[in-house]
Amino acid sequence: MMAINKLTPALTLFTLLCSLPTHAQQVPVVETNLSNGMNVLLVERHDEPSVAGAWVAHVGSANERPGITGIAHLFEHMMFKGTTTIGTTDAKTDFEILAEQEKVRDEMRNEEAKMRREIREGKINGLMKPENWTPRYRELQKQFQSLVDAERKVLVKNEFDKIYTANGASGMNAFTMQDMTAYFCSVPANKLELWMWMESGRILHPVFREFYSERDVVFEERRMRLESTPLGVPMETFNAMFWEALPYSWDTLGWPSDVSTISKPQADAFYATFYAPQNLTLILVGDFKANEIVPQLEKYFGRIPRGKTEAPDLVTLEPKQTVEKRMNAEVDANPQVEIFWHTVPFGHKDSYALEILAQILATHTGRLYKGLVLGSGVASDVGAAQYSMKWAGFFDMSGEAAPGHTPEEVEKAIYAEIQKLQQTEVPAEELQKVKNNFAAGEYRKLNSNMSILQQLIWNEGEGDWREINAANAKTQAVTAADVKRVAAEYLTKENRAVATFTRKAATPKTNE
Amino acid sequence: MKCSPILVIAAVLTLAIAARSAEIPDRPEKLQFPPLKYEPPTPDDYRVQLKSGPVAYIMPDHERPLVNLTIYIRTGTYLEPAGKEGLAELTGWLLAHGGAGTNSAEQLEERLAFLAANLGTYVGDTEGTVSLNLLSKDTDEGFALLHDVLFAPRFQDDKITLRKSQMLQSMKQRNDDSSDIEGREAGFLSRGEKFFENRYATSNSLASIAALDLEKFHYAWFWPSNFVVGVSGDFDRKDMIAKLEKLFSGSPRWLKADLAPVVRPPSAIPTNFTFAASGVYLVNKPEVDQGRVTMMLPGIMRDSPDYYAGLVMNSILGGGGFSSRLMGRVRSDEGLAYDVHSRFPGGVYYPGVISIGFQSKSRTVAYAASLCVEEMQKIATAPVTESELNIAKKSFINSFPQKFATKAAVSAAFASDEFTGRHATDPAFWKNFRDKIQAVTAADVQRVAKKYLTPDQLVVLVVGNESDILLGHPNHPVQLKALLGGKFTELPLRDPLTMQPLKP
Repeated sequence: MMAINKLTPALTLFTLLCSLPTHAQQVPVVETNLSNGMNVLLVERHDEPSVAGAWVAHVGSANERPGITGIAHLFEHMMFKGTTTIGTTDAKTDFEILAEQEKVRDEMRNEEAKMRREIREGKINGLMKPENWTPRYRELQKQFQSLVDAERKVLVKNEFDKIYTANGASGMNAFTMQDMTAYFCSVPANKLELWMWMESGRILHPVFREFYSERDVVFEERRMRLESTPLGVPMETFNAMFWEALPYSWDTLGWPSDVSTISKPQADAFYATFYAPQNLTLILVGDFKANEIVPQLEKYFGRIPRGKTEAPDLVTLEPKQTVEKRMNAEVDANPQVEIFWHTVPFGHKDSYALEILAQILATHTGRLYKGLVLGSGVASDVGAAQYSMKWAGFFDMSGEAAPGHTPEEVEKAIYAEIQKLQQTEVPAEELQKVKNNFAAGEYRKLNSNMSILQQLIWNEGEGDWREINAANAKTQAVTAADVKRVAAEYLTKENRAVATFTRKAATPKTNE
Repeated sequence: MKCSPILVIAAVLTLAIAARSAEIPDRPEKLQFPPLKYEPPTPDDYRVQLKSGPVAYIMPDHERPLVNLTIYIRTGTYLEPAGKEGLAELTGWLLAHGGAGTNSAEQLEERLAFLAANLGTYVGDTEGTVSLNLLSKDTDEGFALLHDVLFAPRFQDDKITLRKSQMLQSMKQRNDDSSDIEGREAGFLSRGEKFFENRYATSNSLASIAALDLEKFHYAWFWPSNFVVGVSGDFDRKDMIAKLEKLFSGSPRWLKADLAPVVRPPSAIPTNFTFAASGVYLVNKPEVDQGRVTMMLPGIMRDSPDYYAGLVMNSILGGGGFSSRLMGRVRSDEGLAYDVHSRFPGGVYYPGVISIGFQSKSRTVAYAASLCVEEMQKIATAPVTESELNIAKKSFINSFPQKFATKAAVSAAFASDEFTGRHATDPAFWKNFRDKIQAVTAADVQRVAKKYLTPDQLVVLVVGNESDILLGHPNHPVQLKALLGGKFTELPLRDPLTMQPLKP
């Protein structure tokens, strides 16, 4: 079939390199393309009878706009609701009821618009409280519920999951981030064709049934992850303050008003724009023969018609920040400080030096722990990390104030550590220690089919799967001068945002 | 527009269509799968009784140049002297971070970091673990350092002070996250205030712990005869046996002859737990708009004859993810929760706790809870369908090889069985697992559901905004207080530093 003659392992010196621990272990990825433009990555691994499979859609919350924030994530949930043949005993009736449901929903959306006006006029205080709903809205809710009950008669509840479960699939799940949405699971090696049948089926003709109850589920997820955790909403606010122009400013879970009003027609449009095969990458890791399965992949996934238009590129570049930003939040948590600096995206030439810099600062033998926890004792815990994402990146440092100390003292102590790194090159042994850990980490992350799969998903989603093999050499090439330069270039006052958190002085919670 | 790629695609498309000799069926049942024969590894193929004391499971695996070692130690919080709660955790942490042998804490941590070796030490409720993951070229040096960590820890005073301060910091956050409150109160209700699992470190207990306490605690339990070992990675089996014998020999105990009196075999793990009276228990956490709910019932031991039927029943009720009834009802049908699940664990030393858990917005907590109670009753009063039974059983059977997906997972599973005694009492547990699951019938499922899902024993814990939760929802006329016949108790928050109930 097509492209079989292209199937040469990316690296033939695989076994040789295994015996040289100072070099990174290469993942022997075979890359090919299907006729519809879908990209395919294959890694053979024969020591257990299973295959870990995924597909990455190159879309995330960064591709949203105000009004439909959270749609990428809600859409991910909808992809588990079945297809034209999975999830229903009677597709025709199901479609008829779905159409009826949308008519009622259109009316409900009109009522919601009226209620939003009432919110703006100060007559009601939100759409969440049932007491605030208009009589007409309640009536429509009942109508909608009766259509849900009618549809239930032709539904096969969660059939998509049941088929996988009965066939021994494990770890079936999906995630949505700013830059990617990924769907993955592990199947017994003899069930690889089932994976192709299931995944190509839901990409080709998904049916978004139970859309509005799933929207409620997603809102519960938002409550669980953000609204009911001590730092969830304050960090959402901080993030929104940090990113000005880039659509990283909202959480993947979306703004509450948007999540609760996204419509099924909007999800249909989103699907048409971003789930075309040329915007997807398939990844398989495990017990199969690459040259044998490519024709099968073409048979199942190649049948999905290429999208007529390309997904729009994200054109926004974050403007250069020129003034320091600050916020203080009173929270139910120990006093602490969080500092973000704008840095560089995935694959940027400075991203490797910034990763090294973060590791010089982080860990129990790093500068922050030695300086702030063991040394001056102003902090009880510290952290540092560089996040290189698809469209932009940031450097994050944080510290929890030790008893008797304040977030401001921790903040000052962090700046003092930065200043040292900006003025003096890191000694050779300290740099080597960090590099040794990156090199060992290259082996550790190749622990199982699923962990290799996750590494490929992440690298491909952020920009290029090849980084799984290329990053270590670039990291090992970083010099002490590079580290000093990036510390000076990026970790500046006007380039940062600072959040200090102090404990809310509510009812006394300790006997201190 | 560039035209050559389009031509290539067109050519390829023709080929692709020609290749579709077989049509794609409309239903997955029509697919044919080649058979998959799988037999799990046999523990005795890897089991070695070391002369130095421990039993070890040794799994060579040359894919990557790493060695992964875990030592399980017979110790735990149940052995902490009264008033010294936190001692086990402190001792566990200090092993890796308090210096050892001729190395100060700083020297030890720096050297391990330079070797990129990950050392983890931890003492939990009923076992301790010491694990080391390092590059195979560094095995000898790493094992020499590990020898000192196991047998000659220094428990540096400044590190004890540091760790106590960090533990105190984290204690202060005990009431900040409602999930932490839920986890603790669920433990108090299902095991009783006095059970060892519920003895928490307090500011006073931490203050009373001195370096000598750590030395005694370590000296009492860290003997090779109290160890079980699992090791996998890039080594030759014979070489590894020799290295392990060396690692566990020559423990410098004579240096601490004055501590000899503390040495004794670990006492039996206590089983004197109590289960709270049936009813609804609520902890008010007004700041959050989502109630967290745990429903609990007394459970079984893992060697109970009901164990396999319990696994299958639980999978159908709420353990099987989206395929389960609770997920279908509470999440998919009603959109009331993101997470809803049930658990039916078999206890190792004392019976487990059967539980259902979910989180829902305050106003729908009572309604969602009532649906869970209904589902418990339903599975006890009517047989499950053949299709449900089939999905649950095939799930366990077909996903079975995943339990042994990596050599590290195999050595961990076998070492854990050795440690907890299952290798001695049921050596063919894994070999027989799939047959035992296959033998479960719909009648078995209903029988265990009826036997264990007993509404008159049900304990329901709710943590959240009390006034909104009790208000309920106009679309669903269910009241939380009426859920279990009016048995309703408000639980106070506890002082995070003393764990004593706070006065309202």
